[in-house]
This record gives sequence, C-alpha cells and structure tokens, in this order.
Amino acid sequence: MQTSMNFELKEVKTNGSDGATCLANEEVTTGNGDGAAHRTVEVTERDGLLSEQQIDGSNGSAGHEAEVQMNRGNACTQDVSNVHRIKRELNEVIFWKIRRWMVIVIILIIILLVIFISLALCSAIYDDEEEKIDPSLLKVPQYFNGSFQLPNLISTEDLVSLSSTESQTLAADLQKKLADLYTSSPALGQYFSKAEIFAFRNGSVIADYQLTFLMPEEQQDQLRQFTLSREMVYNVFRQFLYDQEPDKSERLFIDPVSLSMV
Amino acid sequence: MLLWRCLTPLLLITLQICKAQDCHKFTDLNFGHAFMGTSTKIRLLLYTRDKATCGTLVSHSNLSGHPQFNLSRPTTFIIHGYRPTGSPPVWMSKMTEQLLARTDINVIEVDWNHGAANLNYFKSVENTRMVAANLTAFIGMMQEHGVSLSSIHMIGISLGAHISGFVGANLNGSIGRITALDPAGPQFTGTAPQDRLDKEDAQFVDVLHTDMDALGYREPLGHIDFYANGGADQPGCPKTIFAGGAYFKCDHQRSALLFIESLNGTCASTAFPCSSYTNFLDGNCLNCDQFGAAGCPVFGYDVIQWKDVLLRLGQTTTYFTTNEKSPFCTTNYILDMVIWNMKERWGYITVKLYYNGTEAVATIDHKASKFKKYTGTKLFAQFDKDIQSVEKMSLKFSTGNVFKPKYKLRILRIRLTHLEHKKRPLCRYDIVLEEGKEVTFRPIPCEESNF
Repeated sequence: MQTSMNFELKEVKTNGSDGATCLANEEVTTGNGDGAAHRTVEVTERDGLLSEQQIDGSNGSAGHEAEVQMNRGNACTQDVSNVHRIKRELNEVIFWKIRRWMVIVIILIIILLVIFISLALCSAIYDDEEEKIDPSLLKVPQYFNGSFQLPNLISTEDLVSLSSTESQTLAADLQKKLADLYTSSPALGQYFSKAEIFAFRNGSVIADYQLTFLMPEEQQDQLRQFTLSREMVYNVFRQFLYDQEPDKSERLFIDPVSLSMV
Repeated sequence: MLLWRCLTPLLLITLQICKAQDCHKFTDLNFGHAFMGTSTKIRLLLYTRDKATCGTLVSHSNLSGHPQFNLSRPTTFIIHGYRPTGSPPVWMSKMTEQLLARTDINVIEVDWNHGAANLNYFKSVENTRMVAANLTAFIGMMQEHGVSLSSIHMIGISLGAHISGFVGANLNGSIGRITALDPAGPQFTGTAPQDRLDKEDAQFVDVLHTDMDALGYREPLGHIDFYANGGADQPGCPKTIFAGGAYFKCDHQRSALLFIESLNGTCASTAFPCSSYTNFLDGNCLNCDQFGAAGCPVFGYDVIQWKDVLLRLGQTTTYFTTNEKSPFCTTNYILDMVIWNMKERWGYITVKLYYNGTEAVATIDHKASKFKKYTGTKLFAQFDKDIQSVEKMSLKFSTGNVFKPKYKLRILRIRLTHLEHKKRPLCRYDIVLEEGKEVTFRPIPCEESNF
C-alpha cells in the first residue's frame, strides 16, 4: 500500500456543459514493470472539492476503486472513457481467474525466456572447430628424417637385418607409437600421413625413421614455415618423449636426448 | 640476603625505566589537536646503530652535547608529511630501523607533528616553509662542524618531499640526495620549481609516485621518477569510500612501505623506462640499453648506483608493478604465443607456474590481447613471486563474454622468457586452450626458433 499525497492535477478539457471542469488525477506508479495495466486514472468531481485519494498501485483493486468513483462522478470526456475501456478489457476474465493482462505478461515472460535459453544453448552447443581440409586436397608431401635411441634394447644380428620377425615387430610397434603421437596432435594431426622405421643400427639400438606429412597446394609455403616446420614436428615429438613416464624398463622407451631430426 | 634478592631485580627495573625515559619519542597528538590546529614546533630525533630504537632529541643550537652524533658518518633525514589525525606515522620507526640495518649512518627523524597536525591542510602547507628554514639552519650548523653537504640524504614523504626540496634549494642544490616518496600534489601541482621539489634541489633526486590521482603529484619531479603500478592506484588498496580512512591514505602510504622494503633487500623491483603505463604493460618498454652495463634501474634505496647514467640522461620516467602486500616485488616474464586459428581471437591469459608446491600467478588482463594466425603475440607477465625453476605451468584463456560461444585458442608454440635471469626460455608446443579451462603441462627448454 502506498499513500500518495502529491497528485498531479491536470486539467484535461472543459466540456462546455454548464462550465463544469473535468479534472483528472493521474498517477503512474513507478517501479512497476507492467505499468500499462495499472495506470489508474481517477476522475473526481465531488461538490467542486478535490479530496485526497488513496491509490493502490500494486494490484488490480485500484481499478475497482476507480470504477466506483467513475460511476459516482460524471463520465465527462471521451479520453477518460477510452482509458477506462482499455482497462476494462485488460481486466476481462478470460477463463478461470486469469485476466487478459495476466496473459499478456505471461506471453512476454515466455518470449524473454526463449531468447535467453536459445542464447545459452547456442554458446553451450557451439563447437569452435577449425575447418577441416578436404583429404583429397592433401597432395604435397613433406618429409622429416631422423633417428632416436632405444636404450632398453640390446642389439642383435636379427634386429639389424630388417627381414627378421623380431625387427619387423619392433618396427611396427614403433611406427604405431609415432603415428599415434602425430595423429593425436591438434595442429599436425590432419596433415600426418605415415611414419616409417627403415633401419636399426648397431650398438645400443638406434632407429632411423621417416615421417611423411601431406599438405594442400595452397598455403604450402606458410605451412612449411609454421605448422609443418621442422621446429614444430621435432618439438611435438620431443615434448612427447619428455612427458612419457620415466619408466626406464619399458621396451619402447625412447631417450629424449637422443632424438634427432633433419 | 633475601632482601638483596628482592632489591636487585627492583633496582634493575628502575634502572631500565630511567634508561627508557632517556629515549625521546615522536610527538603523539590526537584529533583534538588537529581540530584546534597546531603551531609549528620542530623536534629532531637522532638514531644511530648503538641506539637504533631509542631516539635522542638533538639541540638546534649546540651539537657538542651529543657525543653519539658522529659527524664523520653520513646523515639521513626522514621528513613526514601532513598528519590530519596527529598520530605518529606508523612506518617511521621501521624505516629508521631498516636504514640503520643497511648502513652505519645518523638517522634524524624530523618530527614536525606540531605544524603537520592540522585539519586545515593549507595551514600545514604554509608551515612547510618554516620547517625548511629550520632544517636549513640546522644543516648550516652541521656544515660549520665540517660536514660535507654531499653526505646528506633527505627522505621526504608527501609534504616532507617538498620540505626536502626547499631545504635543498636553500642550500643551492648541493645536498647529496633527496628521495621523495609520493610528493604531495594538492597546492603544489602546477607551481613554479622554486615553490616545490625539483631536480635542481639536490645532486640526485629520486621520486616515487603512488597516488598521483589524489594526494600525490602527477608530473615527474626528479632525475628518476618511479610510477608504481602506474602511479595512481595501488593493488590491495580499497576502491570505495566504505573502507573508511584507508581509502584516503592507503595509496599514499604505500610509497613509504615500498621504500622500506627496498632497504632490506628481500626483493627488488626492476623499473623500466617508458612513455606511459599502458605502453609498459603492453611490454613495449623492456629494453634498458640506454643504461649500458648497469641494466634497468632498481627502485628504492639502491637506485643511487644509477646516479651517473641518470644524471647524464637528465630525466627518466620509469614504471614497475607490485603485489597487493609484502613482498611487493613481482617477477617479470615475457610470454610469446603463436597460434594457428583461422580467425583472429581476443582475450586474456592467466599463467601459473609451479615449483615444489609453490605457485606463482600472472594475469594479463589490462586489456584484451590480440591473437592472429602465425603472428607472434608478445605478452608481459608479472608473477606475484619468483619461482626457482618451473616444473609445471598452466594456461587459461578467457574472453569475458557471457553469451558468446566458448572459443578455442590453438597454439603452435608458447615461449616463456625470464626478464632478468639469462636462463634458457621454456617452451611448449601444440596446445589447444578452451575458453575458461585451465590446461596444465610441463614446459621443455626451447630450441632455437625460426618463427
């Protein structure tokens, strides 16, 4: 409840009939989102005296009060009756206890909700993926050769000759290790083609490898300079080796320091 | 015998009390005095290494009565500023203590609390001239006893900085050094050099600015001017008036705390010459070639080591950042990033470094940084502490957008370079940072690079 003492008196129109003056007390309650529904216009003409009115802007009852007063006074202008008509229509019961203005408010809330939910969904669902290059465009090869040492293996005659099953299994295991490493790389993955182990050398086992990447014809200069530079390909391998568990007994353990690439 | 046992401690206590009474304390006034206004009264309290916590009131007319005032030692004056509440400055004794711990000198606390304690700031400003005249006469008397002006160092805080300037000007700028800690701005800004501190007032004038937007002075005043955190607002200081008195004095008082910390050598703040704070934060001012082999100047007591080169350069404006609380110094790194995203990205980066359970954090958020494909982005990262060696590090990318999709930053390489140590930079290759998600990894020493 709000007691308002400072009405704004507004002279609307002199209607010519017996010089009667029609005064409208208008108060727009602030802090009320759906003000249109609560706009209370009061017409008061009681023995030429204006009395202070108590206006309740927080619910619909003001409307009734206003209505009563309207009936008591003279319906004096067209304007006022228009407002009155709109108000009556807004207050019309559509079904059960639901009035028209309530329906309007509910629809507005639903629209806002839909907007917010869709914005939130968009940001949640959106996946910031880079454009994938069509694999058929990847034509230009880029090779990297090098070697690394497997300190946990002892070199044997069999291993050195690539024809033996022992060396072939080892080569396959190592090729898989390298292929896994490069295909899982976000930057290099899509360009990676294959990894080959083509020789084992004597001493503590040193493996010679070749990596093949495929680039699209356009942007190949940029790719060569950045993404598919020796620096990137080498260091992705190197940091992978530094990240591996320092379990020195593992057969395929590669000594990070021994890694070379040209 | 029993009597003696009882009497001995009693005698000792009495003796202690008597001794304690010999110590002269800084004038303690209250708000009432400040309200009524005080007339100027200057007390000079001498502290030396033998009596580092016990002040001796020095006579203005006769030095011979103070055997501990050894005039062959250099003398440092500490001059406080405006005291609206009349209380003794909290940092004063700490500064004296630390100065004496550093070097064997005479420290004279200039207590002009009667004169500084006045609700009417303008009255206190007027009184500075009187304090300066008094100190000039005192130094004149020291000169008569054979003291060289070069051996005199004045440390002035706020109004005290201008007092030092007036004394220096009265002595034709021949005193050794003036250190101005956040020199007062109101009533001094825009005045002629003779009405404020300027670099002609001493052989070497070093100035720290911490509150130039309120109680401090905006323009450079010395041979070297340090602007801590840009010189306006200090981290950890309240931003609203609801914090009470601290809101007014925190930024201003920080100048004294920063200087005290520079004395004990726990950590040093390297300052970088730059045209503006923004430029400095962008990492455009990390070159100190102009200082030759000495490198970038270090803020505080030891900046005297750069005296020659700074005098040659005329005037140097420098910047550094600090932490919210002690230890204030930050550790500076350069973070280089090269990305391969097709589209340009804008955002903020938070970096954390880990070593043996300790964590150092740097947030680069003074503005959104731009990341463009194959174009290096250089970021200036100030960490809250120094990490001996980096075991692990983590990165976080954020854009500050609420209703925008979560972007990813696809990094080819990041490189972290310590600004001071000549250690090998650390690198990590091929990382994808999803907005708002922290990614932790182990960096490896960088190989020489082609991009």
